[in-house]
Amino acid sequence: MRRRFDTATLVVAVPFLAFVGLFLFVPTIGLAVKAFTPGGTLGLSAMQRALEGSYRTAFVNSISLSLTSALIGGVIGLLVALSLHSLSRPRWLRSTVDSWFAVAAQLGGIPLAFAFIAALGTQGIITKVLGLAGVSVTESGFSLSEFWGLVLVYLYFQIPLMFLVMMPAVGGLRQTWSEAASIMGASSARYWRSVALPLLIPAFLGGLLLLFVNAFAAYATAYVLNPGAQIVPLQIRFLLQGNVITGEQDLAYAIVLWTITLLLASLILVALLQRRTAKWASA
Amino acid sequence: MRVLRNIFLAAVALYFLVPLLAMARFAFQSVPVVLLTPDKLLQGWSISGLLDVFANPEFQKAAITSLQLMVLSILVTLVLLLPVAALVEIRAPRMRTLMAGITLLPWVVPPIALVVGVAATFRNTVPWFLASPYSLVPFYVLWALPFSYRALDAGLRAIGARTLYEAARVMGASTFTIIVRVLVPNMVGAIIAASVLTAALVLGEFAFAALLLKETLPTFMAEFQRSEPRAGMALALAVMLLTAFIIWIGVRVLRRRGMELQAAGV
Repeated sequence: MRRRFDTATLVVAVPFLAFVGLFLFVPTIGLAVKAFTPGGTLGLSAMQRALEGSYRTAFVNSISLSLTSALIGGVIGLLVALSLHSLSRPRWLRSTVDSWFAVAAQLGGIPLAFAFIAALGTQGIITKVLGLAGVSVTESGFSLSEFWGLVLVYLYFQIPLMFLVMMPAVGGLRQTWSEAASIMGASSARYWRSVALPLLIPAFLGGLLLLFVNAFAAYATAYVLNPGAQIVPLQIRFLLQGNVITGEQDLAYAIVLWTITLLLASLILVALLQRRTAKWASA
Repeated sequence: MRVLRNIFLAAVALYFLVPLLAMARFAFQSVPVVLLTPDKLLQGWSISGLLDVFANPEFQKAAITSLQLMVLSILVTLVLLLPVAALVEIRAPRMRTLMAGITLLPWVVPPIALVVGVAATFRNTVPWFLASPYSLVPFYVLWALPFSYRALDAGLRAIGARTLYEAARVMGASTFTIIVRVLVPNMVGAIIAASVLTAALVLGEFAFAALLLKETLPTFMAEFQRSEPRAGMALALAVMLLTAFIIWIGVRVLRRRGMELQAAGV
């Protein structure tokens, strides 16, 4: 006779769940409680103020930075996946790109920001080379610490992430489908519109959301490139690192709670899209 | 079409290579960019910057801290996670969805968010806990979960853990014996993958350590580069290559066993 939950499973599951509970749920719930009780009394004032003035700007900036880098990185990542799919040789290329992107998707952080400073900062080598060719990077208005600079750096981990997300879906496109379509008289454009794209789109949308979450939570890279940038992660740092008037702490809690809500909503959408993709694939 | 595709792939390759090369030049050539002319391209190359870093006592301290955090995080990950992953797979498959969901939660509460919650709750109740750099360990274990759990889960499925379990059970082995003497030796690949992915995460995490004022390799790096640009760049390049190498090992080990490193643990 087997019980519904056997002892052994409980013995190992309880410490694990307690661990997650203590280090993830307790801080998160504690934070949520404080966000809704600014100054010790129940109220929505902190949650409201977190979306006003410069904090609203930070949310708008973070969302547009994350969306832009997700869209551009997503499209490029998808195109790389498709290009490699259609390319059978040289053989090494496919596996090199595969491995390198699996690595690069995790390479955000301090070193990445340094790499771009060495290339495109005011003392960067590319800045210099372009200057010799008569193109002034500084005069063009481009700067690593501004919006498009951050987008350019974020692409370094966004493109690989989308590539990794799309590879299984792209790999699922069978050669025979495009052949079947062309035998039935469909043009290549028609094949893409009616067969390939509908198959790729759910995975692509899920990937976009994942990239969005990834960029929204990125901290180290932006911190090095522009510690004063008006984006949510750096605002949180500013509020947390003292030098703030009492009561501003509640604001940090509220901003973080909004952030968590946004990320949670995005990931729930990813899960729904994945369920749909899975249904499709098994049909 | 083919030409366009090749140009596109070449451009992408350039985008990924150039920053690394620029970094290497900055780190190992002592000629400032302003003074760099085509005839000086081969002058002043040396690895002295990197050697300076290694000799720096503060670096050694930060590196040792990071190394300890890495080892501890891997140990906690394996001790805490492996038995759960194994028993869920072999005895409570219905809990798999729940586990998949729980292990994705760290994506919802990224370091920069959780640090605020930790400051809000632990700082008042258990201040001694946050005083030690080892307090980072549980959180690093947490953020590695999306990767470490999936690596272990993939490993368990690849070896047919349930069949192995039933077989060992019939022969009278206890659950503990089965995990330690049957499952673990069979899933070395997945264990290595889970470990190296955790290690890579510890090597790169900055937000949490910085905001809790802990001196780890990434926080040292960010500070050090301000005073020593060239040596700082050399260190960053070394850390980046080390991280890349570590993850690459994980990817290789998984692939050789027919498993994929799932994108971002999803």
